[in-house]
Amino acid sequence: MAEAYVSVQDLDFHYPDGTPALRGVNLEIGTNEFVALIGQNGSGKTTLGKCLNGLLKPSAGAVLVDGLDTRSRGIVKKMATRVGYVFQNPDHQLFNNTVFKEIAYGPRNLGMDEAETRARVYEAARVAGVSESIFDEHPFFLTKGLRQRVAIASILAMRPRVLIVDEPTTGQDFRQSLEVMNFLERLWREEGHSIVIVTHEMSLAARYSRRTVLLGHGQVLADGPTREVLSQTDTLARSDVLPTQVTRLAQRLTDLGVRPDVILVEELVEEMVRVHQRHRRAVG
Amino acid sequence: MAVAVPAPRRMRKTLLGAVPMTSPFYALHPVTRLVGLLVLAAVPLFIYMPEANLAFLSLLLVLFVGGRVDLRGLRIYLPLVMTVAFFMFLVVLLSPDYASGYIPIHLGPFTTYYQSLRWTIASYVRIMAMLFATILYFSTNHEREILVALRTLRVPFAVSYIVGLSVRAAGMFMEDFRVIRQAEQARGLDSSSLRLRDRTRLYGMYLVPLFTIALRRAEEISNALAARGYSMSGKVLTGGVRHDFVRARYRLRAIDACLILLMVAGLAVVAYLQVRSGWFGLERSPLLMAWQRHLGGTG
Amino acid sequence: MGAAGRPAVAIAGLSWTYERRSEPALRDVDLTIDQGEFLGVVGPNESGKSTLLYVIQGLIPSNFNGIWRGRVELFGKDTSAMSGLERAAAAGLVFADPEAQFTAMTVEEELVFGLENLGLDHRQIELRLQRVSDLIDLEELYDRSPYDLSGGQKQRVAIACVLAMEPRVLLLDEPTSMIDPRGKKEIFEVLRRLKDTDHTVVVVEHNLEELAALADRVCLVEGGRVRPPLPAGEFFARVDELIEAGLQPPQVAQTFAELARAGLYDGPPPYRFEPAVSAAREVLSHG
Repeated sequence: MAEAYVSVQDLDFHYPDGTPALRGVNLEIGTNEFVALIGQNGSGKTTLGKCLNGLLKPSAGAVLVDGLDTRSRGIVKKMATRVGYVFQNPDHQLFNNTVFKEIAYGPRNLGMDEAETRARVYEAARVAGVSESIFDEHPFFLTKGLRQRVAIASILAMRPRVLIVDEPTTGQDFRQSLEVMNFLERLWREEGHSIVIVTHEMSLAARYSRRTVLLGHGQVLADGPTREVLSQTDTLARSDVLPTQVTRLAQRLTDLGVRPDVILVEELVEEMVRVHQRHRRAVG
Repeated sequence: MAVAVPAPRRMRKTLLGAVPMTSPFYALHPVTRLVGLLVLAAVPLFIYMPEANLAFLSLLLVLFVGGRVDLRGLRIYLPLVMTVAFFMFLVVLLSPDYASGYIPIHLGPFTTYYQSLRWTIASYVRIMAMLFATILYFSTNHEREILVALRTLRVPFAVSYIVGLSVRAAGMFMEDFRVIRQAEQARGLDSSSLRLRDRTRLYGMYLVPLFTIALRRAEEISNALAARGYSMSGKVLTGGVRHDFVRARYRLRAIDACLILLMVAGLAVVAYLQVRSGWFGLERSPLLMAWQRHLGGTG
Repeated sequence: MGAAGRPAVAIAGLSWTYERRSEPALRDVDLTIDQGEFLGVVGPNESGKSTLLYVIQGLIPSNFNGIWRGRVELFGKDTSAMSGLERAAAAGLVFADPEAQFTAMTVEEELVFGLENLGLDHRQIELRLQRVSDLIDLEELYDRSPYDLSGGQKQRVAIACVLAMEPRVLLLDEPTSMIDPRGKKEIFEVLRRLKDTDHTVVVVEHNLEELAALADRVCLVEGGRVRPPLPAGEFFARVDELIEAGLQPPQVAQTFAELARAGLYDGPPPYRFEPAVSAAREVLSHG
């Protein structure tokens, strides 16, 4: 069982103008998990993501990262090396004039020497799929997909255990979305990171994440294995979330013997084949 | 757990902050309010007497309260007020103006002069009066009303169009800026721990993403405008006169005409009195004259 | 007053290359879009879908530099002979980014600006606003400024602005890709209402499940080539080809394509939800 690397305890958060965003949130993230954070807009999922690495401080309750309280002073750099946050639009995070400098910024800012920085840059670029051949390019002129990789590489260069990615697939076509998700899966499976994706794409959450946390009106409505959470239609509805087409189809067939917790196309096909064969045997 | 009901909206957000949802000022035509700004900001130009400007500031305070502006929102201007004071008085302390006949004043190791100091005090209060007149305007006028006022004054179409776009662009900038600050923090940038030298580099870190996003969006905006047939000339498809729908909603009433005349007349009177007989000059200030006598100068 | 039967959009032999690019964005496009139809346009990113919409509206070549070949007609009229405002009144274009389409300070101003450009008087503008609000509920938003609106609301305003100019053709370039799910629902609801009017609607979308519920015909754009449009049923039946092209067909279509491979189902796969439910129940209860 994964030990809690990030521990959220009775977290309340409200914005300066008083709008409440999170209420009584309790959550733990281990060191090698793949979690999807889902919920309608305004459910608090982005706010929660930002609380997890200290970008936002709790109004009440606490967030502990590797034992450190996010409310402590002077923890920005310590947080950046523990929980990385990749914003939805890479343009918000990129500001150097070459890809190399961009990826090197984090380590240099943390005070590492040139040798160590170079090592980190090459490592992060390799993992993120950023080819050395573009190290001297200006990030502005790269395609969106490449810019996203550079942004991810620049966060990875600080070697955070946990990576929070906000909407990794917005504006991408299906093939590009799969590339990003496969890459995040490798980070989890092969490099040992914990990945938290904040997403609206139920079909991708179903295929890639192992655990799903559903937020609604600032509270955790469900937290468990993806299969369980994504098939609880009523709970999902409380946060205005619609299950995938296959799940909805399966749940219209439960009276005929199909399991209601189907979340992938191939699972539904298997189930229907199984039920069909059983029916044939019963009849024949 | 009960769901928090949001408080009824008392303020509406604008570029520079917020304006109250209701205010007696909204009964006036936007152009009246714009003239009000021009008059109120011009009055301190003719008034040198600090007491008069302080009285004027009290008048502004009355207008703030009467206009239903939330005074707590004015707190964000406090740093500005103090910074201006700090620099103005630093200058007069370290390198005051000198001419013969100036009365020296010794403050610790510094020597300054009464005449320089009183000029600084008078100027500071004047600047504050103009500043708060401007703040009053922007605290009680939504961007739409500012543009309607400009269009009522028959400002050329291209100008009001560009002003409108700039205001909108500035708004987008501010929203992006907030996100960019957080995004950079996520990369380990701790803005509070930076020394002054590094802070200047900090703004580079913010400016580059701002401009990147603005540049990308500029192309999209240009396409969106072109696709709707918008052009800078304001030309109209039928070749006829352009109808200003939103402006037609505001009517100039008798009270607007009266107020505009009154305000302009008031400004003319103040200007006349000051230019002709120095009514609001420094020499007429009881406090400054008392101080001068105390220092031993001639009254 | 176009003659009945005249296509809304007729593109012949069209090629377009953006300046400073070596490859054409669109090659030899021949496409006819019928009046009143709802056409879906799909394809991988950078394949030329947006370029196609820009070409129909006339934004290309008027706002872009490049090399043009071919001809585009809107209701029989050559678009190169029309002015910017004439084209805006004939074909409205809605873009993906709701931020970049909101340039005024309030919703009402935004809606009214285009109508002022058309030279309409007060009464005519009021009438148009009334007609648009029948399709898209915006009245309580009239006084709001852009900072106060969600992405979905901004995008509905953008569609309303374009509709208020009463074009006969409505082009939408990925209208939901930058919007949250609730906003997406709102936009698809607007598209459903539009489908019932006599507007000709062309939508570029990645969400094939939603598109499947709306489109009469769908065409695939790949590498600058526009394949001939197919009726929705036929289009979504080609599940394997769609996956090959890098698209994600509706999950129900994928399911039935697999069931067909397993021998449990015959015929074209359902691509909309309710028909899929009926078909699935058929399969399971009767074998």
